[in-house]
Amino acid sequence: MSGPSGMQTALVVFRKEIVDALRDRRTLLVVLASSVLIGPLVLLALSFFLAGLEARAEKREVYVAGIEFAPSLKNYLERQTYSLKAAPADYEAQLRAATLLDPVVVLPRDFESALLHGEAPVVEVVSDSANKQAEGGVARIQRLLGGFSRERVSLSLALRGVSGEVLEPVQLEERDLASAQTRATQLTGMLPFFVILAVLYGALSAALDTTAGERERGSLEPLLMNPSQRAALVLGKWGAVACVSMLIAVLSCMSFVPGQWLLQSDRLKALFQFGLREASLFLVLLLPFAATLSALLMAVAIRCKTYKEAQANSAVIILAVSLLPLLSLFNEGESAWHLWVPGLAQNALMTRVLKGEGFGVEQVLVPLLVCILLSASCIVFIARRLRDAAVR
Amino acid sequence: MIEVDHVAKRFKLVQAVQDLSFGAPDGHITGLLGPNGAGKTTTLRMLAGLITPDAGRLSVDGIDVVARPRESLARMGVLSDARGLYPRLSARENIVYYASLHGMPRDAAEARAETLAHMLEMTPLLDRRTDGFSQGERMKTALARALVHDPPNIVLDEPTNGLDVLATRALREALRLLRSAEGGAKCIVFSTHIMSEVERVCDSVVVVSHGRTVARGTVAELLAQTGETDFEEAFVTLAFAEERAAAMEPTV
Repeated sequence: MSGPSGMQTALVVFRKEIVDALRDRRTLLVVLASSVLIGPLVLLALSFFLAGLEARAEKREVYVAGIEFAPSLKNYLERQTYSLKAAPADYEAQLRAATLLDPVVVLPRDFESALLHGEAPVVEVVSDSANKQAEGGVARIQRLLGGFSRERVSLSLALRGVSGEVLEPVQLEERDLASAQTRATQLTGMLPFFVILAVLYGALSAALDTTAGERERGSLEPLLMNPSQRAALVLGKWGAVACVSMLIAVLSCMSFVPGQWLLQSDRLKALFQFGLREASLFLVLLLPFAATLSALLMAVAIRCKTYKEAQANSAVIILAVSLLPLLSLFNEGESAWHLWVPGLAQNALMTRVLKGEGFGVEQVLVPLLVCILLSASCIVFIARRLRDAAVR
Repeated sequence: MIEVDHVAKRFKLVQAVQDLSFGAPDGHITGLLGPNGAGKTTTLRMLAGLITPDAGRLSVDGIDVVARPRESLARMGVLSDARGLYPRLSARENIVYYASLHGMPRDAAEARAETLAHMLEMTPLLDRRTDGFSQGERMKTALARALVHDPPNIVLDEPTNGLDVLATRALREALRLLRSAEGGAKCIVFSTHIMSEVERVCDSVVVVSHGRTVARGTVAELLAQTGETDFEEAFVTLAFAEERAAAMEPTV
């Protein structure tokens, strides 16, 4: 009896593991619900937040306490086509409780007389930095009040026959080089993080089940009593886990395409361009990464006697992969070495895709090479450990 | 035919097997009888190539287990101490999976699963998922899985553990059939610590104690050797000779 070839064995194991993983419906549903839907849901929540800000800006309303003390300011604001609303008496409490979503301008009783005597009355713009919607309106109000001040200055200078331009010896103009998409990444920057987590959780249960789970069930020992090459067994298992993880990666990336149709905010809708091209570029990065994460998780789990122990141990990988993207935040941008770190590289390149910059072949080659090397060493490690792992 | 020749294995602190030898011919049920911790499971794991012996030689139909593990495994069906099944697969799928690992074509594997299910009286179980199987049902499935490639040599590690009377009887019947000429005259090695099992089913017995072979022969021969009429007494005399001698010493 010659026995099956290594390739045939790997294929048999692959088929069985895929069937096994797909029958674990409950786990699969939880993974699908938690990791595939979370990204679009966050995007959606973000869009509601922005839509609220936009709507408030469009309404051109200012909440003021004590407008009766400042007829000149009232006049100015009305000329700017703002409608004035009296702030509720308990505006501080309401701002803290986030039931009032606009900042409040508080005017002193002696506003008008102080203004006349050139005593610079203090105008407060009251907000609560924990109340993000109100906080978002502060800059707009400050600009508005700044306009009032400038108008007063030019008027008094004009009365004295001085041109207002003396006060502005330098003309200041802002020019933002960021493209629309780059600006959007300030908001959508966490998407790569969600996608990477989805891939990770997609691989997790299958990776643990085929290694530590197999040990715990006592099915690894009988499995090794078949005349199969160990490397072939490991390859079959890895292939199946990687496929499940890749499936989650595909679903997760594709879910953003219809996800953006639901966006409420016009600004976000205009800025966040995630079409099939972006999804495909994401997948170019994510598919090899999914395969590597699968191998890595299996290598960690094969050392564990129980599923539970493996879960505790794999937390290290989960933590590393979730925290690595923060590096690029702290270090202000990317460095060349980021491409050599799995997780960080994918995060950096996906961020580029979101910025509309894309990436070149040479930039994909480094992470791809790292993925291949890491997967290969994990597989060799697992194949070596398999026999010892079987004998408890 | 299985031959184990002066094997030894030491784990870090424990000398699990010291000097263990036995031969198991075809068409014959050889019982490996010993107390817990005697080295039976370690020996059977060495036979299955899961543990490399420190010394000695193991062969299956003349094939050296250490040098050609896959060839020897192809000629062996092992029901090990660990008999975990895949709970999300049916009994049939569990059996056919192992058949495929042996390189059997799909239809041959299906047919073989049916034949084995008939022999082990588990046909109604075949298409049920193994999650929730009783001990007996698990053992039958695991045995069918081990025998799926119709191996000439069968190794069973404490197969009656956790089985009720009916399941034990069914197993015994199956083993007798496999030993007979019509069942294929298999070479069967059966490890156990239960005397009555040995008396009822084994053609010859190898008594193992402290990692050593301490006696070999049929039940009648061992009774004659020890001068006992009860097999349990004979076993205790053979397996615990050292302890007995040690217990006697202070009084001498």
